[in-house]
Amino acid sequence: MYGSLDISVSGLIAQRTRMQVIAANIANINTLEDAQGNYSPYLRRSVMFAPGDPAAKSPQGREMGVQVEQIKIESEALTRRLMPGHPYADKDGYVMVPDINPVVEQLNAMEASRAYEANIAAAEAAKAMMSQALRLLA
Amino acid sequence: MSDPLGLIRSATSGGSSPLAGGARLAPGAPSFKDVLLQNIDEVNKLQQDATRAVEDLQAGRRNDVEGVMLATAKADTAFKALQAVRNRVMEAYDEIKQIRV
Repeated sequence: MYGSLDISVSGLIAQRTRMQVIAANIANINTLEDAQGNYSPYLRRSVMFAPGDPAAKSPQGREMGVQVEQIKIESEALTRRLMPGHPYADKDGYVMVPDINPVVEQLNAMEASRAYEANIAAAEAAKAMMSQALRLLA
Repeated sequence: MSDPLGLIRSATSGGSSPLAGGARLAPGAPSFKDVLLQNIDEVNKLQQDATRAVEDLQAGRRNDVEGVMLATAKADTAFKALQAVRNRVMEAYDEIKQIRV
């Protein structure tokens, strides 16, 4: 009975996780060191979704929901930027910095937000269907 | 099966007791009382789940608003369904009460 609600909630949680990853990417756009202070530029993260939500209570949710399968670290996401005199610059004055495009991240954030809204709308529709069925009974 | 008030007499004993109008319950079928009490138990469990979810959210023990929304929506729908069944039963009872003997 609550299968569609479980599915919509798994979608909401997945999109929220995606939004967190995008926020992390935007926040670390200029991060060049790790927590210990060693040179290690931040690598862009991206979420990978997979069908099925093991945390759902109903069998429909477990089968047809969505889950965050992994948060992938893109090991190649670095770009060279000319910053002469920078402590981490090489002999030509280039520093390897995170290859994160704020425009792309904003677009992804907008898409995640719209997808979240779509899942909310689906959940509302499922709830409306249930209460309409109850009106038949009452 | 809990019967806190002990008001509903069991409609069946082995599926052979005659019901009103000579109708018989299919053998092995659960009685209306059993189904009703089971549903009340389930609705109660969902209500408790929802209450606990809201408490946990406010106390900071969990941070998924979506799960709390799901628990409250489930409890709300289940309670409304139970209320609809109860209203139907009361309607039937009132109608029987109107019959002149």
